[in-house]
Amino acid sequence: MEFSASPVWFIALPLLAAFSAPLWTRWHLLDHLLFGVPLVLLILALGLFPTVHEAPLLETIVIAPPLGIHLHLDSASLLLVTLFCFAVTLVAAFLWLGATDSHLRGRRPFVLILLLLVGGNGLVLTGDLFNLYVFLEIAGVSAYVLSALRDDRPALEAGLKYLIIGSVAALFFLLAVVLVYLQTGQLNLAAVAREFAAIPPAMQGLIALLMLIGLGIKSELFPFNFWVPDVYRGSDPAVTALFSGLLVKAFLFVLVHLAVLIWADPAVARVWLMTLGALTLIVAELAALRQDDMRRMLAYSSLGQIGLIMLALGFFSETTTAGAFFHMINHTLVKLLLFLVAALLLRRCLSLRLEDLAGAARVSPLAAGLFVVGALGVLGLPPFGGFMSKLWMLQGFAEAQRIWPIALILFAALIEAGYYFRWIRVLYAPVAPAASADTKTTPEPWAAYAPLLLIAGLMLLLGVAPFLLETSVVEAAHALLDRDLTLQSVLGVAQ
Amino acid sequence: MHVLLDSLAMIALCYVMGFLFQGFYRQFNARLQRRWGPSIWQNLYDNMKFLLKSETLIHGPMFFFGPMIIAAGAITTLLFVPFLKDSDWLQGVSTHGNLILIIYLLVVGPLGNALAVGSSGNPFGVMGVTRGLTRLMGLEVPFFLGLALVMLQHETTSVHAIMAAQDGIAHWNLITNPIAFAVILLPFIASQNASPFDVVGAPVEVYAGPRVEFGGRLLGVLMTQNMMMTIAKLVLVVDLFLGGASNVLELIAKAFALFLLTTAISAAFPRLKTEQTVDFFWKVPLGLAVLGVVLNVWLI
Amino acid sequence: MNLILKLLFLAVSLTPALTLLTWGDGTLAWPLFGGFELLFELGPLSAFFLLLLALGTPLVALPMARGTPDRAAYGLFALLLLGMQMLLLAGDFLGLFIGWEVMTWSSYLLLIRSTRTTLEGAQTYILFNLASAFLLLAGMLVFYSLTGDFRIAPLTEASAAGRWAVFILLGLAFLIKVGALPLHRWIPLGYDQAPDLFSAVLAGLISKMGLYGLLLLPTLFPDALAGLSGRLLNGPAAGYGLAWIGAITAVVATFKAISQQDIKRLLAYSSIAQLGYVVTAIGVGSSLAVGGAIFQTLVHTLVKLLLFITFAGIVLQTGQRRFNDLGHLIDRMPMAFFAVLIGIIGLAGMPPLPGFAAKYLMFVGLIDARWLLLLAAMMLSSTAAFIYCYRLIYGPFLGHANSPEARTATEAPWSYLVPQVVLMGLLVLLGIFPGFAIEVIVDPVLMTLGLTPIGAPSWGELATPYGGYDGVVLMTVFGGAFVIVTALFWLARGQMRRAGSPYDLSFAGEVPTADTPLHYGAGMGRELRRIPLIGWILAHTTAGVQAGLTRQTLAAAGLLGGLYRRDPQTWTLLAVLVLVVASTLLALNGGWF
Repeated sequence: MEFSASPVWFIALPLLAAFSAPLWTRWHLLDHLLFGVPLVLLILALGLFPTVHEAPLLETIVIAPPLGIHLHLDSASLLLVTLFCFAVTLVAAFLWLGATDSHLRGRRPFVLILLLLVGGNGLVLTGDLFNLYVFLEIAGVSAYVLSALRDDRPALEAGLKYLIIGSVAALFFLLAVVLVYLQTGQLNLAAVAREFAAIPPAMQGLIALLMLIGLGIKSELFPFNFWVPDVYRGSDPAVTALFSGLLVKAFLFVLVHLAVLIWADPAVARVWLMTLGALTLIVAELAALRQDDMRRMLAYSSLGQIGLIMLALGFFSETTTAGAFFHMINHTLVKLLLFLVAALLLRRCLSLRLEDLAGAARVSPLAAGLFVVGALGVLGLPPFGGFMSKLWMLQGFAEAQRIWPIALILFAALIEAGYYFRWIRVLYAPVAPAASADTKTTPEPWAAYAPLLLIAGLMLLLGVAPFLLETSVVEAAHALLDRDLTLQSVLGVAQ
Repeated sequence: MHVLLDSLAMIALCYVMGFLFQGFYRQFNARLQRRWGPSIWQNLYDNMKFLLKSETLIHGPMFFFGPMIIAAGAITTLLFVPFLKDSDWLQGVSTHGNLILIIYLLVVGPLGNALAVGSSGNPFGVMGVTRGLTRLMGLEVPFFLGLALVMLQHETTSVHAIMAAQDGIAHWNLITNPIAFAVILLPFIASQNASPFDVVGAPVEVYAGPRVEFGGRLLGVLMTQNMMMTIAKLVLVVDLFLGGASNVLELIAKAFALFLLTTAISAAFPRLKTEQTVDFFWKVPLGLAVLGVVLNVWLI
Repeated sequence: MNLILKLLFLAVSLTPALTLLTWGDGTLAWPLFGGFELLFELGPLSAFFLLLLALGTPLVALPMARGTPDRAAYGLFALLLLGMQMLLLAGDFLGLFIGWEVMTWSSYLLLIRSTRTTLEGAQTYILFNLASAFLLLAGMLVFYSLTGDFRIAPLTEASAAGRWAVFILLGLAFLIKVGALPLHRWIPLGYDQAPDLFSAVLAGLISKMGLYGLLLLPTLFPDALAGLSGRLLNGPAAGYGLAWIGAITAVVATFKAISQQDIKRLLAYSSIAQLGYVVTAIGVGSSLAVGGAIFQTLVHTLVKLLLFITFAGIVLQTGQRRFNDLGHLIDRMPMAFFAVLIGIIGLAGMPPLPGFAAKYLMFVGLIDARWLLLLAAMMLSSTAAFIYCYRLIYGPFLGHANSPEARTATEAPWSYLVPQVVLMGLLVLLGIFPGFAIEVIVDPVLMTLGLTPIGAPSWGELATPYGGYDGVVLMTVFGGAFVIVTALFWLARGQMRRAGSPYDLSFAGEVPTADTPLHYGAGMGRELRRIPLIGWILAHTTAGVQAGLTRQTLAAAGLLGGLYRRDPQTWTLLAVLVLVVASTLLALNGGWF
């Protein structure tokens, strides 16, 4: 097997590393490997860009036709895989270098984070419905346990809630997969796509609905996202960064990917997805206005951004989709930054409630400054990358003469500004920080800021020089939207 | 040299006309009220008496400079008003100015004096200044709008050009644009600080007004400039509405006729409070002015 | 180290001047994505506003550099300068917007460095400004959808609806920035609460960016504003609406200014009013009026910088910022007194300072357009302005000292005095030479805007087709008269004696003491409420609307947030419910609907 050209590694390597965790524990290599494995994959992914530019990579491990593992690495999935590896690398670095709590060190988080990476990579790479379900469960299970890691009441509650709602989602999706298999006898996505049109319309609708609800819950779309704030509030901020930065993006991608492949008629899908996206955006931004806990606020803001990405992806135009991919990248960076800052502030001020953070900028000026950068990034203000991606999406809508999404996005951004700037103002309030702030906290090692500063630098870079990513995201959009190309590359025939 | 002589002549003429007109005013009012009244020269005597006082009380340097500014302002204003048309004399520097400038210059002096009033530390003086500024705010809007109608009519802001365009009684703006004259008449009276809009200085009662702290020679300066300003304003209205004057006698005659008209109006009405003044100006003259604008601009 | 930092900061503050001098005709392009690029070039319109920056920033930076260096503030100030220069140099909307946003957030972060900012003030500032920015973004996206390009160029082929959409969206964006009513509330809050020196930047420089936008607006339409909906009387009909917005803003803001008790709030409202004139003049759109607008922009920048820097010095020395807490500083801070004196003469538009030249041009422009009712409104506002101008000088400098600090204050440090002297000098020079400003500063801008230049026969003369005046003659006559009168007064016989005590007053027959409330500063203008129109204006504010809007939004937020506070059963139930309802609908419809 040729080493560098296989997408399998994105799944196999973290899986292997996770399963041999006892070995690494003994050799005291957990931290290094948690950082190293995704880093290696990141380098591998970056190296694959020229290859994938030529043609998508396919990897099929046949078990018994039509059952088998199909991995399909095209520009879109490669972009996301790169992003995921990068996100995990950064979080790992943060956990490694910072004054991390003990429950986030050791074997359990090591295994779970790597499994989460496996799940995320698998979700975007797989070309097979059943595999998709398997990866969905891998990602799900590791996420449930990760959110309960801290072993206290809110964490356990979050884990339990996540488990319940996640299982319900998986159930919906599994039902859809079963129905598809019964109707078509196919599980390969491309094959299903080809034969989906032959299914009776009512059944088509039912399958689509089941998938939409299942993946809608997972990818946090309104009205299926009511669980999100509780789970994000209960989990550790560093873990939440991965949920928001990695997991949701994977599910979003899957949802849109399936929509493109299966619903041959984009007009119908457009109505559904754009409606859901718009609702998610506006409801989440409004609800965030009154949140007094930073994690909840960030959760709602994350929902809002997901809605925005959905809105743009659901429009199925190449420009908005490219913008949406770009925004995914930016949003991952921003949310990593914000959640990691939240982790720092939590350690420093022992609380993330609004009133306890008043004047926090005095005790941790750098963290507060980074929060400002993150807030500006998430609001899409120049010179950060978020502005360019937002502009890209808006420009896509303007190009197509669609005015309502523009108005909606800008209105939502204004509301978003309403609460982010409230937080900034509180952080910089001219009052002495709460008494708890200075007691019994270990000073943060400077190295813990390194990944955060790296993110901030990248955000700035992407804002100043968005052309760096232009080819990748445009190709990704092309790969995602061009159904025939996918079918052709998988099955060798065009529909 | 010519300009200097000319300016001196204008100042002298203004001064002489000033005390005579105001002396007449006192006589006129006295007769209306069935008194004998003072002699027509009385204002000259009063003024000289003030100016020759041997001792003056001041409240700091700004208090001293205020009357100097107001006097300088009065002189500047009158030098920018052409007294005669088609003549080399009594022109001052009016070719370098225009109507809007004159309207603004009318205010420069009083504002400078307001600094002196403030610097005296007497709240009654400042109260007077505030009243004066309030009245100014009321009168200036219709006054300026009325003048704007004239400026619009002749498409110029130059007093010379407006004067030159009224070559004959039929072309007087009083005849061709009567609404504008009606609009500016009452604000003009107020700008002369005459009854019924004279609450600012509140003469006769316990004194509470801009001049409350001034005495001696400073009061003399204030009185001098007041007499000159009265004449300058009269001449300005003569220039704008009565076709200006070709010689000094005509000027005096026209100015006196106008003065008689305003004095008669002043004598007939009781004094208004400051707010009443403003409200009145914003209702009656301004309403008339709006009517004039509608007639002049929208309908024609 | 500190010294180096300060020098560096001062050097940064000179960058606008440097840009202005060295940019020349070059263009700079920076690629973004999808074939878009940022284009930077320096036209005369941008050069004019850059000139304002170049004048203003070093003068504010000098007092800012005093004391222990505030690194964050220096950094943010540098960013602010970067943003403003970017937006001025931008040849396309993208660069304009990027600069605009950088300016917005960096100014916000500078604003909240003051200990006096409240949450309400900060939120109002940022939300109004972001609303302005997003309207700008929306406008430029509509522009893009009409032309397929972000370059700032006339909309030649757009439909009437498209043009109006661009006009209204961009117009609103820029009007918020200049604080037109009723979108002004962020200005009194922001200017008041900002760090004292930063208020000078806000009022003097940042607000001018809105004017830049408004001046840019007519260039987007062929035949300027008249291209939108024809002409009314002798001006563009679309501009008539804009002009009324400006005039009403000027009138209402002037009365609001009169009723303020706080110096900086008064200056904030006066700033709104002054920019209201400019909006009116831009609405008129003729060469005279726009020339007046540009002139007024220049004068307002100088005046507001002067006043805010001076009052920053007073606040620094006394710690007091309300009219009734100051008083009689004329002896203790004579320099500040002269600065404010020159400032208010400029603010009131009195001759011989250049404020009059600007007003003259605007008035003549209105007469020329035959929009006389607007002229009346402007006249009302500019005479009412005398009252607050008088308060500005009476409250702090005249009357009686009303607080212990006011009794012991001394002149502000030299770093405050230098900018004051420079600005006073500039104002006086411009007053003497209005023709110079017309020839050198105003005319190039007018030519870029496609208007006929006004021209000036000599530097001292302001000439229009409606007549003009000579600044040199005016200044000579006034100065000469003043000198002669004063000299005569001195030469005449008689002596002068200074009053023995400040209470030696003619006070209705009584003898006031130190306890008698003699300072009229607080009450000044209170009786104006009895005038019906003014009483009505002062009794109404938009604070209630804003509070109501906030309350409703928060109520909606609470309602929606309530949805999220449930247990997993409900969530699951909801998912199933959606499935059932949707599939029933599907079944009824027989497929996709």
